[in-house]
Amino acid sequence: MTGLRGAVVGFGKLGLLHAGLANGLPNSRLAAVVESSAVIQRAVRQYFPDVNVFSRVEELIEARQSDYVIVATPTGSHVSIAEKLVEASIPVLIEKPLSLNAQEAQPLVAALNRNWVPNMVGYMGRYIDTFHKAAQLLHRSVLGKIQMVRSSMYVEQLLKPGEGWRYDPATSGGGVLITQNSHVIDKLLWMFGDITGVLGNTSQLVSRLVEDHVHAYLEFSSGAVGFIDASWSARHFRTPTISIHAQGTNGTLDVDDDEVRLFLDNSIGETSSGWTTWRKPDLYRPVPLDIGGTQYTFQMIDFLEAVTNRSDLDSNVASGLKTQLVIDAVYESARQGGTRVDVGTLVS
Amino acid sequence: MTGVVLPRIVLGHNAFFGVDHLSSQRGAERAAYFSDVANVMTVIASAVDSGAGGLMLSTHPRAVSICEALRVDTFLGSNLEVFPLLPYAQKYVTRANELGLVRVVTQTLAAASTRDKVGLGLDFARTIYRRDPLDMVRALMRLELRMFRKLNVSTVFLHDAIADLLMALNLPEVFSLYESTLRRRFGTAAGIATKNLSLLVRRFQEWGMELPVVLTHVNKVGFQVNPSQEECEKALAHPELAVMAMGTLASGYLTPEEAYSYVNAFSSVKSIVVGASSTAHMRATFGSITASKT
Repeated sequence: MTGLRGAVVGFGKLGLLHAGLANGLPNSRLAAVVESSAVIQRAVRQYFPDVNVFSRVEELIEARQSDYVIVATPTGSHVSIAEKLVEASIPVLIEKPLSLNAQEAQPLVAALNRNWVPNMVGYMGRYIDTFHKAAQLLHRSVLGKIQMVRSSMYVEQLLKPGEGWRYDPATSGGGVLITQNSHVIDKLLWMFGDITGVLGNTSQLVSRLVEDHVHAYLEFSSGAVGFIDASWSARHFRTPTISIHAQGTNGTLDVDDDEVRLFLDNSIGETSSGWTTWRKPDLYRPVPLDIGGTQYTFQMIDFLEAVTNRSDLDSNVASGLKTQLVIDAVYESARQGGTRVDVGTLVS
Repeated sequence: MTGVVLPRIVLGHNAFFGVDHLSSQRGAERAAYFSDVANVMTVIASAVDSGAGGLMLSTHPRAVSICEALRVDTFLGSNLEVFPLLPYAQKYVTRANELGLVRVVTQTLAAASTRDKVGLGLDFARTIYRRDPLDMVRALMRLELRMFRKLNVSTVFLHDAIADLLMALNLPEVFSLYESTLRRRFGTAAGIATKNLSLLVRRFQEWGMELPVVLTHVNKVGFQVNPSQEECEKALAHPELAVMAMGTLASGYLTPEEAYSYVNAFSSVKSIVVGASSTAHMRATFGSITASKT
């Protein structure tokens, strides 16, 4: 068999999806799985005779059977696993969020500084067709100077206290802010540049240990201001629903999972003045294999290309760390009762 | 391919459950309206009156009351074929976020009512204890399909998120189990939903398995069609393929006339599943399907 040999650490819901792509895309195959659950280990051995099964990532490294590794374990173990892989010169795709907090990610950042390998953090929302289009427009500065950014993320996930690692801050890092809304913060940084200061507030609607709602005011280094508002206890939102609105000196842009709506005072290149709307069917880009959303496929294709060419990626540990620093600042501001907090600039 | 005869027009369920691939907000509004099963039944009756012979029905928690209502309505019960689509993936995705995959499955089985367990004649405790994946799949299938008892069901579809994953992982044994469980336990054909039609045709040929009835996107603009419009059109020309086309209007992006002059050109498209929430909309859409066929 030919192609890159992929391994997946953590064979849960996302691990399975990544394994499917690792096995189904051209020039790659699933070679190994690292999983601590005996039930899942047994199932993998039974149904994937060509796939090696390990209990610990050290065994995977020792076996030298993977050209890249996808880390899809609970957040609290991302850094220690990824650090070992980087030390062993194995390219790594780490599920989002990168870590429990920015400080915790430092050993991984240091390991990459010593021994750089292609690395990616799985903010796959960047590859959703509508957000991809919005970022293209914004990176062409069609709105002029950005003045104001509004964002929201709502999903009906939790209407009573939840069970499991996601609701334990020791393994998840926090609640809706670090879990689903880290996608929004990643997108804001990607689209509008660095965030330098925040004023945050978190509240518990149903959970005891983590926040179910977050609201924060954001100051961008560009001079723009904005806010995030997010809840995973928002009724009537069947799936996570993200909306971003931006206003600049030349117009406005609205983007969500369904469409991009642009209003421009003056035409920019081929983009006309007035209203332009792109709906999902306008923007659809086919993929070689779709398992549960084309965004995962595009992400994996980019990652595999970076592994082959030993090239860097846009969503990497460095950008994941920036997202983490904003999250940390919002939590810190909320702890201080909503006072303004500078976003840290951890440098190793 | 199996000798299943599919009704030409099948009413889609998305509006009933708030799924809207063009607008999440419109989806949520419709979900609120259709939380009253009487409103769902009005639309179903109107669809049958306008020419629909089938109803696609995901195993969404709300489908239970729709099935109950269909059992009571003998006219609809006998004039409408129901096509279960399982599982309602979002239900498991949300819970897997909390519990992890293994616990979602074991808890689902453990939480089944005693009546269901006795009714299915399954030793659930043994299945949970042994944790054999295929045993669990079989038990889950039987539990999910319980709501459709005594309804007119000839084909059950497997959700594309699961089917596409199984194809990518190259697991023919799960498809075999799915097919044989449906055939033996329920006397129905095994349909498969996919977003990768040409891959499905290739895989089933490699596996030496008969092509299943396929539920897949067919539309003029190539929305949710992979890996390309050309490849899918080639696959649609396969002489043994029977397709129930979905997404034909590209989520309301195409007019019925332009949509069906394209879709009806493929002889492998035996059936079209189309969502509609008002009688006027249904008459117009269903009319275009039959008009452009001739």
